[in-house]
Amino acid sequence: MFDFLLWEGYNGGMITQEKLTILTESAKYDVSCSSSGSRRKNEGGTGNGYAAGCCHSFTPDGRCISLLKILLSNDCIYDCKYCPSRVSKDVPRATATPEEICELTMDFYKRNYIEGLFLSSAVHKNPNYTMERLLLVVKKLRLEYGFHGYIHLKGIPRADESLTREAAKYADRMSYNIELPSEQSLKLLAPQKSKESLLLPMKQLTLERAAFVEEKRKGLIKKGYFLPAGQTTQMIVGASPEADGRILRLTQSLYRKMQLKRVYYSSYIPVVQDSLLPTAAAAQLREHRLYQADWLLRFYGFGVEELVGEGENLDMEVDPKCAWALKNMHLFPVEINRAPLEALLRVPGIGARNAHKILAARAYTKLKFEDLIKMKIALKRAKHFITCDGKFYGAKNELAVRGLLTAAEVGENATQLSLFDDFVRFSDRKNALVALDGQL
Amino acid sequence: MTYFFDGSISGFLTAFLAAYHDEAALVTSRRQQLILGEAPVYIKTDETRAARAKARLLCFDDGCMKDLNLLLRCGDDNSEQIAFSYFKKLAKSGKPVHNMLSDDAVFAAVEKIRRVGLELHRFHGFIRFMETASGALYAPFAPDHDICDLLLPHFRARLPRYPFVLHDITRKKAAVYDGKNAFVAPLEQAEIVLSGNENAWQALFSRYYAAVNIPSRERLKQMRGYLPVRYRRFMTETHGEKK
Repeated sequence: MFDFLLWEGYNGGMITQEKLTILTESAKYDVSCSSSGSRRKNEGGTGNGYAAGCCHSFTPDGRCISLLKILLSNDCIYDCKYCPSRVSKDVPRATATPEEICELTMDFYKRNYIEGLFLSSAVHKNPNYTMERLLLVVKKLRLEYGFHGYIHLKGIPRADESLTREAAKYADRMSYNIELPSEQSLKLLAPQKSKESLLLPMKQLTLERAAFVEEKRKGLIKKGYFLPAGQTTQMIVGASPEADGRILRLTQSLYRKMQLKRVYYSSYIPVVQDSLLPTAAAAQLREHRLYQADWLLRFYGFGVEELVGEGENLDMEVDPKCAWALKNMHLFPVEINRAPLEALLRVPGIGARNAHKILAARAYTKLKFEDLIKMKIALKRAKHFITCDGKFYGAKNELAVRGLLTAAEVGENATQLSLFDDFVRFSDRKNALVALDGQL
Repeated sequence: MTYFFDGSISGFLTAFLAAYHDEAALVTSRRQQLILGEAPVYIKTDETRAARAKARLLCFDDGCMKDLNLLLRCGDDNSEQIAFSYFKKLAKSGKPVHNMLSDDAVFAAVEKIRRVGLELHRFHGFIRFMETASGALYAPFAPDHDICDLLLPHFRARLPRYPFVLHDITRKKAAVYDGKNAFVAPLEQAEIVLSGNENAWQALFSRYYAAVNIPSRERLKQMRGYLPVRYRRFMTETHGEKK
């Protein structure tokens, strides 16, 4: 029955370990890892799209490996100050051949190491040459190797728009990294890039994708794809002085006007030294708060104006939804058995999944506090903002709520609260006392 | 009273009918401590009675057999009893109950179904194939739940050109795709000869895994949450790390 395991096999070409290390080390700071959004079918070759996306492994830094994240070349002509592959930096350089990338992708894919390929490149020789090489790899994979798995392709700013259009027919997702959230910072730290060189191709792809979808809907196009998983972008946080409010306004307009699927944030890590760059890494908590706010913009019906002012930063002590709720205590508590979905989604601690669970369960019975516990709904934050069958279980005044929420936040990220040792972890003594008072 | 059945869906449905009116019924297919002075009931699967029960339950909830299929695959000791309580609730209500989450029996069943589904989703990514000398792929793994054959459609759809074997080491069985047909067969131990390049590809992926990590941002707790240690046994990049 299992005899076919013993037949003769084949030998193939392989990229060297050294080259793979150089090209991966240079690509790893790109945070995009998702492989969702594409339903590409297997048409007789290898692979298909998995609309929900799939994580294949996790590294000790807690990030997932879904795609083979690699550069085609790290030999760059640009001199972006923050980049480990910049032209003025003395680092080992490598350029892979299209065949090496294709073989690597196919062999990793069939062993189920990866869900697909995330291919990027330093600007090698010139933008058009680089984009042509990237396109060559993608076409080779699709047409010669019969690969139907997920491909995320990085767009090269200033490359010809016909190349970008052609690439979009073969890739599942494309992305142009905005890198820095303002034109001034871009001029200072990435002088060869400009706002237009990044935004124009994004706009072009958005319009062309919309036209493709419309023609497919009308039945004018029967086959083919055009970026089925859309576009994403990435911003470095903490390398330049822009406030969170500015970053999130840009994010919101990218979601609304460019229909981007995701905006990724990467807190700055000083991998290169430059007088124009900060010497210390940006706090990861800030990156975390930006992602929380990003989620609120996309799935919870919040507008950026509700979360943070243009020149302001997000509250680091509590998550953005808690911060908003504390500013709007007059809207709470909401009755769990009557509140509409939109109101439940705005309760701190209740996420989209739990909000739907509550809606489903309350159709059968009037929910009590004990029922929510039974349903494993996290009430540490939520209890201050809800009533269950008319009963309130939270702290009574805003100050106590704030203290408790801060304490809950600290508790999630650290060890158990000790009466005397952990006071310093709260923002100030007053908050710490309020937290204790509230608990008692 | 304790009702033993053979672990199959039909066996469960036969036991369900037999135990329905017994308020202290314990339904299981697993070996367990018997209660002193109590004679256990060994249920013989009756396809006709099972079909009748199935038809009736489907009238109440047309998705309930899908739920039962997942519940009986759950590796936890009490999962069959949870399935019994859930289906009793369904039969008594006469309408779908899966959203009645404040009910203990329903919530417990929904949680078990969720856990089986989660493991199935995880193994879509965590399976590691090795290429054998014949070009066929072989993947040993040890899931908590009996999901081996549920993985077949996923891999068959994406790797139609490669014969493969998904070997559940714990349950000593394998889901096989021979290039044309897919089936499940008992498999104690597989004798495999790896292809000439297999070790080199494994080394290359381990190198990739090390290179893509950012050491200054170590978050092992987060990693453990997403990739529990028990799943790492057959993973190339973690070098078969065991709990």
